[in-house]
Amino acid sequence: MSSGYKPDILWSPHHADRYVICDTELSLYRIGPSGSSETKAGALQLSEETAATLLAINSDTPFMKCVAWYPKHEPECLLAVGHTNGRVVLTSLGQSHNSKSKDLAGKEFVPKHARQCNTLAWNPVDSNWLAAGLDKHRADFSVLIWDISSKFSPEAVPAEKVRLSGDADSGLLVTKPLYELGQNDACLSLCWLPRDHQKLLLAGMHRNLAIFDLRNTSQKTFVNTKAIQGVTVDPHFQDRVASYFEGQVAIWDLRKFEKPVFTLNEQPKPLTKVAWCPTRMGLLATLTRDSNIIRLYDMQHTPMPFGDEVEPTIMERGVQPCSESIISSFAWHPSAQNRMVVVSPSRVMNDFTLFERISLAWSSTTSLMWACGRHLYECAEDSGQAAEAEKDIATKMRERAQSRYGHDTVQVWRNHVLAGGDDPQLRSLWYTLHFMKQYTENVEQKQQSNKQSLIYSGIKNIVKSSSGTTETRRCWSGSDRQTDVPRFHSEERSLALQLCGWISQGPDTDVEPFLKSLEQEGEWERAAAVALFNLDIRRAIQILNKGASSEKGDLNLNVVAMALSGYTDEKNSLWREMCSSLRLQLKKPYLCIMFAFLTSEPGAYDGVLYESRVAVRDRVAFACMFLNDAQLPRYIDKLTNEMKEAGNLEGILLTGLTKDGVDLMESYVDRTGDVQTASFCMLKGSPGEVLKDPRVQCWIENYRNLLDAWRFWHKRAEFDIHRSKLDPSSKPLAQVFVSCNFCGKSISYSCSAMPHQGRGFSQYGVSGSPTKSKVTSCPGCRKPLPRCALCLMNMGTPVSSCPGTGKADEKADLTRDKKLAQFNNWFTWCHNCRHGGHAGHMLSWFRDHSECPVSACTCKCMQLDTTGNLVPSDSV
Amino acid sequence: MFVAKSIAADHKDLIHDVSYDFHGRRMATCSSDQSVKVWDKGDDGEWHCTASWKTHSGSVWRVTWAHPEFGQVLASCSFDRTAAVWEEIVGESNDKQRGQSHWIKRTTLVDSRTSVTDVKFAPKHMGLMLTTCSADGVVRIYEAPDVMNLSQWSLQHEISCKLACSCISWNPSSSRAHPPMIAVGGDDSNGAYSGKVQIHEYNENTRKYAKAETLMTVTDPVHDIAFAPNLGRSFHVLAIATKDVRIFKLLPLRRESANSSGPTKFEVQVMAQFDSHNSQVWRVSWNITSTLLASSGDDGCVRLWKANYMDNWKCTGILRGDGSPVNGSSGPSAALSAVGVPGAAQMIVGAATAGRKKAQLMPG
Repeated sequence: MSSGYKPDILWSPHHADRYVICDTELSLYRIGPSGSSETKAGALQLSEETAATLLAINSDTPFMKCVAWYPKHEPECLLAVGHTNGRVVLTSLGQSHNSKSKDLAGKEFVPKHARQCNTLAWNPVDSNWLAAGLDKHRADFSVLIWDISSKFSPEAVPAEKVRLSGDADSGLLVTKPLYELGQNDACLSLCWLPRDHQKLLLAGMHRNLAIFDLRNTSQKTFVNTKAIQGVTVDPHFQDRVASYFEGQVAIWDLRKFEKPVFTLNEQPKPLTKVAWCPTRMGLLATLTRDSNIIRLYDMQHTPMPFGDEVEPTIMERGVQPCSESIISSFAWHPSAQNRMVVVSPSRVMNDFTLFERISLAWSSTTSLMWACGRHLYECAEDSGQAAEAEKDIATKMRERAQSRYGHDTVQVWRNHVLAGGDDPQLRSLWYTLHFMKQYTENVEQKQQSNKQSLIYSGIKNIVKSSSGTTETRRCWSGSDRQTDVPRFHSEERSLALQLCGWISQGPDTDVEPFLKSLEQEGEWERAAAVALFNLDIRRAIQILNKGASSEKGDLNLNVVAMALSGYTDEKNSLWREMCSSLRLQLKKPYLCIMFAFLTSEPGAYDGVLYESRVAVRDRVAFACMFLNDAQLPRYIDKLTNEMKEAGNLEGILLTGLTKDGVDLMESYVDRTGDVQTASFCMLKGSPGEVLKDPRVQCWIENYRNLLDAWRFWHKRAEFDIHRSKLDPSSKPLAQVFVSCNFCGKSISYSCSAMPHQGRGFSQYGVSGSPTKSKVTSCPGCRKPLPRCALCLMNMGTPVSSCPGTGKADEKADLTRDKKLAQFNNWFTWCHNCRHGGHAGHMLSWFRDHSECPVSACTCKCMQLDTTGNLVPSDSV
Repeated sequence: MFVAKSIAADHKDLIHDVSYDFHGRRMATCSSDQSVKVWDKGDDGEWHCTASWKTHSGSVWRVTWAHPEFGQVLASCSFDRTAAVWEEIVGESNDKQRGQSHWIKRTTLVDSRTSVTDVKFAPKHMGLMLTTCSADGVVRIYEAPDVMNLSQWSLQHEISCKLACSCISWNPSSSRAHPPMIAVGGDDSNGAYSGKVQIHEYNENTRKYAKAETLMTVTDPVHDIAFAPNLGRSFHVLAIATKDVRIFKLLPLRRESANSSGPTKFEVQVMAQFDSHNSQVWRVSWNITSTLLASSGDDGCVRLWKANYMDNWKCTGILRGDGSPVNGSSGPSAALSAVGVPGAAQMIVGAATAGRKKAQLMPG
């Protein structure tokens, strides 16, 4: 118990919502959820959720030294208060109407010689017994055990003494204790032993702990120690006792009482309170003077009795319930798990729950499970509400897999729509792959195979191989002035332009179809820029006008068109001067580069080429038109490296599906973890070297693994089929061979012709081999095949109808789908008991039975494989 | 947005570990009550406890699943100085729905002389291998040479770490460019000035594990460690729970010559460091794509971290350990946290700003 005016806190033993704060007076509080109807307006906020209401104050006992709460349910709120003069007074808070409480409240127990009462303890079984520990007196005992039910003060007490106490009713004054213990010693702390309520553990000034048995007070076991303060018994382990001295806590085992089993690390300041947690095994909370930290010692894993040879495993933790402010005292909540209320010297209270170590784990489908104390909590991402941009890549990949992202091999560009259509990089990537594929197909028709390999190696390599570049100077259409804008042409350059999507196949180099499609999509600025780069100002202006007048058009486009129409190629014109300075303030990148183009010197187009907000494909196309053979590879190289560094998928246009492309994709994967796009992209290329790159193989394996973990087995199988088209080496061998009992030859006619994708392990995936023909005998030796365990026909006989179950829906199941009916004929068997039959018969049997249909076989064939019982999550 | 839901766990004491299987449809929990429970997700999306049995004679610290291609196999480790391997068998139960499944102890690994603090299966491509670490500083790697016979495990490697090991994590990368690698964390509070995280790597030539790296900057006790799923990335990411959450990036440096037999050298970068748990961090866990990290700490909160494309990490959610919302709006949600009725507690915690305040971003 704390001394002086520092408030202490004491929880009611029976009411989980009541506690008392005692300093110079006793204040009874009730704790409850804040804001509820029960709590009144004057409630004190204890935490975010709880508040305390003051129920009663008792200031009758100004010289109180220690307090103990009556352990019985009735009368409630009866407290024993020990005074500085050694008297112990029973007092009650609030509940004065209660008759029993009236009987007891006000009773006073007076020692023969006045001195400080240090500690009080109610006997846990016989609640009439109250032990009081007092300071030393030469002629008196230090431990007095009072019987609160004793009514009369013995005759020995002189009448004047009674009068001195100022209490007229002598019936309330008790001076004769039931027992007296510890002569010529002081008692600093004491407690009753819950194992035997007649025994009492005392801690005395003579540096000893002693156990007294009230049945024979002359007998005691004692041990010398300094740790004689605050003796307290572990409520969960009744042989374990803690006591302290200065900053050190000693833990005792009463069965081995000779010395402490261990001591805890010493604190720099003296301890003021030590308390076992009532709700948790082996958890001790300690508090030192002027501290804001409660230190907790977890002794759950300390074996008792404790051997000498091992180090104790005690987990120490410090908690700060109310951050910086100093704690005067604390009390554990009697029933709520790990909860305590702390009180500061200024009586600020704080309700606080101590959290156990929370362990947590993510599932493969991005739900989080955590364990807090004895409870489990699961937390799933609510994908419906999350904004597209905020979604995690795992969620995105799952959604994309389900929308068959990557599987559109005809209109390759559509894959970016399947991916959600909101990622400009993916859009660029799939358009690039689309143009590559389109070109390859056209070339194939013309039997020109030399260019085919080149197309997938990206613009970087195409440009390098460029030869025979011609230079033309074209007029601005709609103007008859000869310009000095040189434009370069070569076969490779026009190929590059095709890849950029500016011009379509064939000799025709008209950009008009491209402009039309841009107009359709409302990309007015981009269309205007492309038109301008093709030296068609009139068309550019027309596009801008159209844009301004369109539904969601920007009227400013008209202004831009006006500015464009004033174009002059005179070097020192006002137009040129104004445009080159004002263009930098244009927000729209494409408008910006238009004026950059018009105002730059031929061959010096940095304003266009290094405008990073403009799509890479447009910049590259521009470069292919206006940079000469020396500038172009340099620019492309620089841009490629930039893209590789950033992992920007737009760069695939430059690198193609080459080693450079894998490098680029590697930094994309490093950045995003999107192995899905990486796998599909690399599989789109010509069957070649990139697939052999270990990194590509690694992405593919990782993606397949993800699909497996998500139980997207159908998607994985589709992916494998897709992959084996381009990478025949990935085809696995047939998994199962069934040989004839008689001749040992394989019974299937074309087992290897129909391989099934799956893992090498037989538990994983459907096994079975199709009996394609209706032949019921081994093709090798013509002996009959085994019989189906259910229909007793030889295997190979087609399933006629579903046997005996009579459920209409099942029949419908079997007949409705032709493919399924075929599967019903399959020979299937249990790996364990090796009984089997027609797949259809077996399935319908196990719908109602758990054991094998063969007589006396107790094999639970269908339950053997846990993975086999999982349902793929992508089958709809 | 994350939605938290309480599940009646019915353990008699603290739960020390939760672990999902490969598909996320099964879950195992272990507790101080010396038992392990296995949970299956029903078609209704609720978790049902399908097995609960006493596994050890002490607190069970960790439980972990083997890859399903090795069967339904669990490993647990305990204060009783042992680790155990469990396999599910189908047998006596008559329940069509596989009501209570049976788990059989296949082996007990008794080599440790102190509490076994962590147990992990090695990545699938290495075969069926199991690793334990113990408080006396030894990491042991066992192998089941025959995957059909799980009662036979041979001790392949013993790595002495001189560290009171508290946690281990395998590098999950299956790339051939990355040799098998394991990270070990220690939680002794003594010897404050030594690195508490070691990385050991398998050497093909010597056929032994050798220390490749010690993270000297981590000197406080380490409670958990987790390699991020590699997913084909060229580097490794390691999350560490110590007095704060720390995320390290390990870039393997290209070897100068092909025949150099020493361990891989790494360029170690601190990607992020967060002290918003205010005190000890207990656990860290990565999602399947290693784009989300969850951490739990002494403040009783679970925090979610996410990196944007620029490698800037930020807190995207805070959840109180008892499932209640963090920002203290009182109401019905406060009461239900104590009850633990399945499905009853539902609350939504959006991106909370409180965590960001203290998140300290380190330049990469």
